[in-house]
Amino acid sequence: MSSGLSRRWALFAALVLVGARALGASASGPVPAGVILVKGAWSSAAGTATPLPEEGAVSNGQYGNAYFGLEYAFGADWTQRYEGPPPSEGGYYVLAQIEPRNAAQSFGQSHVLIAAQDLFFTLNPARDALELIHYYQEHLGAEYRVQRPPTKVRVANRDFVRFDYFSPAAGLQWHMLATEIRCHVVLFTFTGSDAQITRRLIDSMGAMPQAPRGAPVCIKDYVSAETITEREDPVLSAPHFNPVPVRIIIDAQGKVKQIHFLSAFPDQAKSIADALSQWQFKPLIVGGQPAEVETGLMFGRPPRPSASALH
Amino acid sequence: MSKLLALALVLLCPAALVFPGIALSQSDPGVRPGPINGQNGATQGSPLPLPSVNSNNPAGILDFFDNGLGRFQEEESVSSGDDKGLGPRFNFNSCSGCHAQPAVGGSSPANNPQFQAITQGIASGSTNTLPSFITAHGPTLEARFPFFMNSNGTPNRNAPNGGVEAIFTVSGRADAGSCNLQQPDFRHAQQSNNIIFRIPTPVFGAGLIENIDDSTLLANQEAQAANNFGVGGAFNRNGNDGTIARFGWKAQNKSLLLFSGEAYNVEMGITSELFAQERPLPEEEQGSGLPANCLNLGGRGYPEDATNINVAANSDQAAQNAQVPADSVLFAEFMRLLAPPAPSTHVPGGQQSISNGFALFKAVGCSTCHTPAIKSTQPSNITASLGNATVRAFSDFEIHHMGSGLADNVSQGAAGGDQFRSAPLWGLGQRIFFLHDGRTTNLMTAITAHRSNGSEATQVAENFTSLSRGQQQDVLNFLRSL
Repeated sequence: MSSGLSRRWALFAALVLVGARALGASASGPVPAGVILVKGAWSSAAGTATPLPEEGAVSNGQYGNAYFGLEYAFGADWTQRYEGPPPSEGGYYVLAQIEPRNAAQSFGQSHVLIAAQDLFFTLNPARDALELIHYYQEHLGAEYRVQRPPTKVRVANRDFVRFDYFSPAAGLQWHMLATEIRCHVVLFTFTGSDAQITRRLIDSMGAMPQAPRGAPVCIKDYVSAETITEREDPVLSAPHFNPVPVRIIIDAQGKVKQIHFLSAFPDQAKSIADALSQWQFKPLIVGGQPAEVETGLMFGRPPRPSASALH
Repeated sequence: MSKLLALALVLLCPAALVFPGIALSQSDPGVRPGPINGQNGATQGSPLPLPSVNSNNPAGILDFFDNGLGRFQEEESVSSGDDKGLGPRFNFNSCSGCHAQPAVGGSSPANNPQFQAITQGIASGSTNTLPSFITAHGPTLEARFPFFMNSNGTPNRNAPNGGVEAIFTVSGRADAGSCNLQQPDFRHAQQSNNIIFRIPTPVFGAGLIENIDDSTLLANQEAQAANNFGVGGAFNRNGNDGTIARFGWKAQNKSLLLFSGEAYNVEMGITSELFAQERPLPEEEQGSGLPANCLNLGGRGYPEDATNINVAANSDQAAQNAQVPADSVLFAEFMRLLAPPAPSTHVPGGQQSISNGFALFKAVGCSTCHTPAIKSTQPSNITASLGNATVRAFSDFEIHHMGSGLADNVSQGAAGGDQFRSAPLWGLGQRIFFLHDGRTTNLMTAITAHRSNGSEATQVAENFTSLSRGQQQDVLNFLRSL
């Protein structure tokens, strides 16, 4: 292991230890209001600093996300008032929540939810965007009416699955656009009663570029006896009984380059990170060249079998 | 001017009746009038049991319910009389003092009994001061300090606490001997913003909640995972066996027995077969515990609440049987056998408004977490009504991130400082105080508090605010019909 990488692991270990406690170790004085200081299972990362799904940001009328390679310019009249929660243990992310800057426009107000579902850890049986949207449709309550069944469309020079439905009682419409990026389904949901505003918001997706260049190849269940040559199992001392979904990026030399805990207690993250830093994989060969690969692992307890099957 | 006003009223009032959407403003209808818990025959002091219990099936179970109801209302003393063991620290001297609205087993009443604790001699005014947060018409409260204090009195954010800081001590009472304890420093905790509050959770229908198999809750979680509202969710699991815990504001308690035993210990300072030691304050526990002269104040050893081995013979065998279990066991049995509240079909606002409100409640996404009905409970070995029943609790019994606006920075089990159980909404129509700390009596405020940084419920709250005022009124009417 290089000395630079060793330092990153050491830094991560220190951060994890501190993370078990409250933020702002040296802070004194009154407890700040409106700050979550005591956290349960939460997201964190170790290893080489590369973008994470939850690190996108809203600024100056646009949402940018380096992990997904997204740049969505919705306009200066829109903003994010409230950030989303941390990723769920089922791999669901609230990436951004966009609403009109003028909060006085409340009745019939449109808003946009940008979310992502990690296909490695989803609680439902979907394997791609189309199956996920079909799953949504099948679980749509009787209070909704389908306007447009799941349909493959081309928007912003990208393949999407579109699904539209509405609530007669509420007078609200939901327009979903789902696309696959790095083994996630990224979901844009436009909600509101004003079809023109919604159409304009969808049209403004036209500036959206493709997925980031140089992103690792994503492969589900890549970790197996055929791909791994050295492994050290983590020692999880305290039974929390929670699933710990972990995404890892394996570099071209077969070492674990980055670990992303979607949801883990600090002691779990430290034990798993300590173990994964010692894993060695056979390099993945793509087009005759070694390549980086991104995959998922579930610690804590085995992945739950889905209680229902698709179709 | 007055003619113009009259004309406006004449024009607007009928229009508001015909077109609810243009009503002047939406408002919480307030506590629903009518039968307590929506049940004919229920009174504040006598909430109804489950139907099969009411018909005494199996024979004798009604005695257990009645006995439990009686013990739930007993006022405990420190060392005198039959009901002793109170303290050395406590929040109140009976279960029903705080679990009172709209009936015994409910939540915080309109008149806070803690406000009268000193004037009524439950706590001595010579050694206790009423904290400023205990008010005459505010909620009954349990206080916690999220962090331990440094030696200089500032919160130590590296040392999460979160334990209950009991409000009163028995010191100064005639039956408390020489025990001399100080109250926690509430004033300093308030000044440093190192204090949070909890109100009592109502326990009507609690036996149905207890009798849901984990597989049913897991299946509901999977179905709700296909929501389009930004909602995730997780379960708080029992640390010993990994199964789903479900009682308390953070779903931190596995069973009603554990819930009652812990409450007896924490809220009233009474030890039991579940919690056999007196409970010091968290700070005292970090030090040397309670002083010797504050132990065994009841004078009969521990646990203060125990199985009654020597019950006097009674010609009524069922009544005699019901006297045997410890208080904590019968508290749990009473809660287990309480009937769930019955919703009103037409109050407030009329049947159409309530029906519309329910449809809107589902459409905007409230039902993602506040699941209207969970089918079904597992077979019951206790009484027929607990088995194979639909639980219309309006909860998924998951814990959800509720954001910085509601976070209390207290961790319980797997729940972090911003995670709370989806509060069951059945009985909401006759509750007075809302949210975990009782910060509001207004449903509109409670709903809008669901959105803040880091909350899973922001999208749903946004959808609610997207509704017209008339539609919002329908939702409020629906909620108050529960």
